[in-house]
Amino acid sequence: MIALIVDGIILGSILSLGAVSLTLVYGIVRFANFAHGDLMAVGAYVAFFLVHTVFAAIGIPNAMFGPLSFGLPMALALPVAMLVTAGVAVSVDRLVFRPMRQRGYAPVMFVIGSLAVAFAIRALLFIIWGPEFHFFTQALRPALQLPFEVRVKPDQIFILLACLTMVAGLYLFLQRSKIGKALRATADNPDLARISGINTEHMLVWTWAIGAAMAATAGILLGIDAQLRPEMGWNLLLPLFAAAILGGIGNPYGALIGGMTIGIVQQVSTAFLLPTYKPAIAFVILILVLLIRPRGILGSEQRGF
Amino acid sequence: MSVLEATEIVSGYGEIEILHGVSLSVGAGEVVAIIGPNGCGKSTLMKTIFGLLEPTKGTITFNDTDISGMPPHEIVCLGLSYVPQADNTFLSLTIEENLAMGAFLRTGDYAKQAEIVYDLFPDLKERRDTKVSALSGGQRQMVAMARALMLEPQLLLLDEPTAGLAPVFVETVFTQIEHVNQQGIAVLMVEQNARMALEHAQRGYVLASGENRFTDDSKALLANEEVARLYLGGAA
Repeated sequence: MIALIVDGIILGSILSLGAVSLTLVYGIVRFANFAHGDLMAVGAYVAFFLVHTVFAAIGIPNAMFGPLSFGLPMALALPVAMLVTAGVAVSVDRLVFRPMRQRGYAPVMFVIGSLAVAFAIRALLFIIWGPEFHFFTQALRPALQLPFEVRVKPDQIFILLACLTMVAGLYLFLQRSKIGKALRATADNPDLARISGINTEHMLVWTWAIGAAMAATAGILLGIDAQLRPEMGWNLLLPLFAAAILGGIGNPYGALIGGMTIGIVQQVSTAFLLPTYKPAIAFVILILVLLIRPRGILGSEQRGF
Repeated sequence: MSVLEATEIVSGYGEIEILHGVSLSVGAGEVVAIIGPNGCGKSTLMKTIFGLLEPTKGTITFNDTDISGMPPHEIVCLGLSYVPQADNTFLSLTIEENLAMGAFLRTGDYAKQAEIVYDLFPDLKERRDTKVSALSGGQRQMVAMARALMLEPQLLLLDEPTAGLAPVFVETVFTQIEHVNQQGIAVLMVEQNARMALEHAQRGYVLASGENRFTDDSKALLANEEVARLYLGGAA
């Protein structure tokens, strides 16, 4: 049982990172981005391409960091993949969503548009890398034996710390930096933000870039923990939305709690149910939240966070 | 010399024309009130001046710069600030953060200007780290004006500054407008509280059905029988 909770925390931290970035984007662009999961996959595949093709070709030594399953190539690939994924998201906004904004489309059209983007991204991943599983590494690293028969891979501790660091970094950015405050102001009241002299189109670029960079990190961490598949992000979309809604949609701090909750509940459920039912748990939680507290844990009537 | 000059403005929402050629001017350091019945186009005029609506005809100049159709984030750089009637604060941000957003376009430190603004609204200074959602309506209106003063505007546009406020706060808001004006900032306000607005202004415009109806010194407007009967709810 405790082992399942520990597994749940690891899954939960990846879900949190995905849900925090999903809900940050929602809070500012004001539509549910169905392509968010696929941005995670883009990040993972870009990192895979860098580690196995580019860095291997230029001969960057692949010695692993201590007990972790990856080394210098991955450390270099992570920031590059974050930048590339941010670039993808900003380009998609420029090519797809900005023309729609300028024509004053209804919010539901943006959601459908993001669904189209999601299909397009996934199709590209299939075309380039094929439907088969890919692994960052085939190396087996010994798990750490902890009390209560808990076995944790060093990678998983890294995943947890990386997620918490990124979410804490986002918190500090939103609370302390000038751009971060302007993002919160734009989420709260976009008209007043414009009146105050904030160029909200710039804020959207920041939002897509930050949201996509965090999604890319979540995708890479998921790839380190498991494997890469073109539909890896799409399959996580439902738990991500469940986590974001549980925490209060549009509230990144709530999404952290939501992600952890969904992760733990999903893993613990495998003690009672077949693991194939795991994704259904997110559904059940989503429905319960919508019935009992539709605003979510930290959600409020007003906008902003 | 006038700071703001609007000439023959035609504007509205999409196909619906609200203003059919309104003109007005505001002199440096002047307080000007726009009054008139509901739906006469007062708020539309404010939004058009500030670039939230584009005029289909007419020109708006600010210090001889043509600002007709310029986006708000460029207009605000020129020294013109706007306080909308509703949703005029960032509720989920603190008072201090609201001021920081008002100063978003300042390149340097905004602390000095914040001190000047806090001196105008001492109540806000004590509660600077409080979220605006926790404040009363009157205090929120102060935050809204304080935010708009952070770029040291020459002219402040106020859309219904006393709308929805308890009577005790209405007098406070007008006193604060006077204090702002004493800093040399011109004020153009739209008000439902027509009589009080004129009492606190030097000049007034009466709009009706999207057109200029009366333009005069406030005192003359207050003394005008027809204005009093039609727009001030009683005899002069």
